[in-house]
Amino acid sequence: MDVIYGLLPGMLLLGIIAVVIFFWAVRNGQYDDMDGAANRILMESDQKKDRSDNDNEE
Amino acid sequence: MTIPCYHCGLPVQQEGRFATEIADENREFCCYGCQTVCKTIYNSGLQRFYQKTAAETVLAPPPALSSELSSYDLDDVQADYVDINAEIRTIHLLVEGIHCAACVWLIENALSKQVGVVRSEVNLTARRLRLTWNNSETTLSSVLQTLGNIGYAAIPFDPETAEGVLAKKHKGLLYRMAFAGFAMMNLLWISIALYSGADQGEFRNWFHWIGFLIATPTLFYAGYPFLRNALLGLRHRYLTMDLPIAIGATATYSYSSYITFTGSVYGDVYFDTVVNFLFVILVGRYLEAISKREALSATTRLLELQPKLATIITKEGSKVVPIRSVVVGDLILVKPGEKIPVDGILVDGQSAVDESMLTGESIPVVKIVDDKVVAGSINGEGAFTVEAQQVLRNTALAKIVRLMEDAQASKAPIQCTADKIVPWFVVVTLSLACITFMYWLQFDFEKALLAATSVLIITCPCAFGLATPMSVAVATGVGAQNGILIKQGAALEALSKVTQFVFDKTGTLTQGELRVVAVETIATMTAEQLLILAASIENHSEHGVAKAIVNEAKKRELALSTITDFLSLPGQGVQAYINQKQIVVGTHRWLKIQNITVEEHWQQQQDKFEHDGISCVFVADKSKVLGIIGLADQLRNDALKMITSLQQHDIAITVLSGDKQSVVNAITAELGDITRYAEVLPGDKSQLVRDLQQDNIVAMVGDGVNDAPALIQADVAIALASGTDVSIESADIILSHNELYKVAEAKNLADQTLRTIKQNITISIVYNLIMIPMAMLALVSPLVAALTMPISSLLVIGNAVRIKYRVKFK
Repeated sequence: MDVIYGLLPGMLLLGIIAVVIFFWAVRNGQYDDMDGAANRILMESDQKKDRSDNDNEE
Repeated sequence: MTIPCYHCGLPVQQEGRFATEIADENREFCCYGCQTVCKTIYNSGLQRFYQKTAAETVLAPPPALSSELSSYDLDDVQADYVDINAEIRTIHLLVEGIHCAACVWLIENALSKQVGVVRSEVNLTARRLRLTWNNSETTLSSVLQTLGNIGYAAIPFDPETAEGVLAKKHKGLLYRMAFAGFAMMNLLWISIALYSGADQGEFRNWFHWIGFLIATPTLFYAGYPFLRNALLGLRHRYLTMDLPIAIGATATYSYSSYITFTGSVYGDVYFDTVVNFLFVILVGRYLEAISKREALSATTRLLELQPKLATIITKEGSKVVPIRSVVVGDLILVKPGEKIPVDGILVDGQSAVDESMLTGESIPVVKIVDDKVVAGSINGEGAFTVEAQQVLRNTALAKIVRLMEDAQASKAPIQCTADKIVPWFVVVTLSLACITFMYWLQFDFEKALLAATSVLIITCPCAFGLATPMSVAVATGVGAQNGILIKQGAALEALSKVTQFVFDKTGTLTQGELRVVAVETIATMTAEQLLILAASIENHSEHGVAKAIVNEAKKRELALSTITDFLSLPGQGVQAYINQKQIVVGTHRWLKIQNITVEEHWQQQQDKFEHDGISCVFVADKSKVLGIIGLADQLRNDALKMITSLQQHDIAITVLSGDKQSVVNAITAELGDITRYAEVLPGDKSQLVRDLQQDNIVAMVGDGVNDAPALIQADVAIALASGTDVSIESADIILSHNELYKVAEAKNLADQTLRTIKQNITISIVYNLIMIPMAMLALVSPLVAALTMPISSLLVIGNAVRIKYRVKFK
């Protein structure tokens, strides 16, 4: 069971990395537009389809 | 049933007027703007926009584009927003007219097709566009023009000055919440280990130390706002809601630390309790902060939308400068169609100016040399020069805005009551915890500490605190889906208690647009013939009366004649030649100027019309009057239904108007038993509301800037979305579909919300009555307390969600 002397700090370290990533994301404005991104993912895909349609026509 | 506009979904007032063939189908539009926008969208192959728009979405007609676009290309002007030394420039734009995800798609696709646009990202939540463009390939103004063509008006703004402080505070809270969340998740693993037996044996201290390591930064970093507020409150001898939270958290933390440091084999640590508890409360605080921020951003937008540029005239010629750099005494050129940027005196030129924002008078006022003009009013067809007398924060418009800000800041009676209750709540909680601690201390220190902490946590007013905001949040959401935008939650509570509704007449109860209601002619002419004459000439004028006459002619499908030598005097009338015959259309005074005699019976006819609220336009040839066209404003279709519905709830109705008594009576005749106040000056409206407030709780429904003071004075202010920015800004509730019947629905929603709030408060009181004695009897451990607390909150939340299903909308 001595392994937990290493595992627990390891777990904390991973957790802290996650928190740092989160802080970075917030600072980058990833959470500024909560509504747009959710919808954009649907729009984007058929925008690409549009483009390929056009390509075929040309 | 009217047909909805193909573009924006608003009801089409006059069928056929803006009908166009689009993609081989005949489409109806509500206005010229929607028609043009739809054509542009189809022409640029973006018609998928209409499939993407959710079925229920109602867009608004496109906003008017500023006429000063090209000045945004000047480096001097751009310097405020972008780095002007680079070719690739990035700017933040506030965009008017974004409604839904389809708009995001439309804007980004339309811009991506434009040469020179490097990147465009729309932020749907904040209604903003971040644009990166190559200044050597395109200009900012042409991008703004493209946006204008597809129905959006955009203006540059600086995100830092607009909301820098608030956004930082907001982000800080998000960081703390995230950290507490991380700490909570990790600590729960430790807790599980401890519960399942690790608290006995060799790892006991190791687990305790890990717990301490996690809990310490959580308490001092994530819990910092609570500790700080509690201390600040104590220093000012004021008990805040944060005090029991701070005491509970630090007491539990200190005891757990004590066990950890001494390495005692007895007793347990409660780091998990501290952390869980802080996390749950931070989540609540964060949600609260979001809603507050949304309320504030509306005010920021209004300030941002004021005129930003001015053309000043110097010895070297005219120059466009940012409004900031205009000083008193500068000469400013105001071009046709522009918003006037300053308060000042007209020194050269003349024009008709639309001051409806400030006075509510919809007919433009003619301004000549030495007349005063005010910032924010819109210039008509002429150009003129103004000497600036008041600029920026000193203009009349800015003063109104400031007045509103003050009113908004001071107006929160319900919040005040809550603030008054809080100290008592805190005192009771603290004394109960003290009693519990003292009692159990006789037996066991640890038991005493835990029981006291449980009391502190369990009475934590979460359910109590959530009872109102949660119901309000749900009601706000339900309202928004149905075209009722609630800016302030408190307004719902107030609305449910309202006993008196006050309506502004023009533009609120009525459509705010003139229509032809009567045509009187001489014996040898038909009404149609007269209309053809008048409409042919008025077709060349932009005046509201002219539009009404032309519309009427189009409705009757009359073919207009060609005219020559058109002449107009703003505010008086027009004249022109049709088939070499001189025709004059205008007011009584205009006819006098032209030396045309008005016979006695026409005079009587005019008096009769005016008595009934009908304004008159004379049509005459060179020698005599040919006829009178009577124009009037009419009640909205749903006005009667709405009034009847309100009266069923025993609500008294009052109508205010600046018109004469006879006019008000004539127009509102079919509404039956209501109180009518006529000839109320704009400034007196708020006084009237104040008088009514002596015996009633008053809701005011209005749309013009002149209604703004009355809207602020009223207990609840409701504005129509078609109204002016200022009236919308001063309102608590905005009806976005411009349907008057929504007033009655808003009232129903408010009633239901208050019922739910009362139920919720009962739930939380019952919860406290059961749980507090149990906690005092030491039957509840802090962890169980921390668990039951969210359960009570969930009950309250669940009950609030029911509002969605209880209120019926049309």
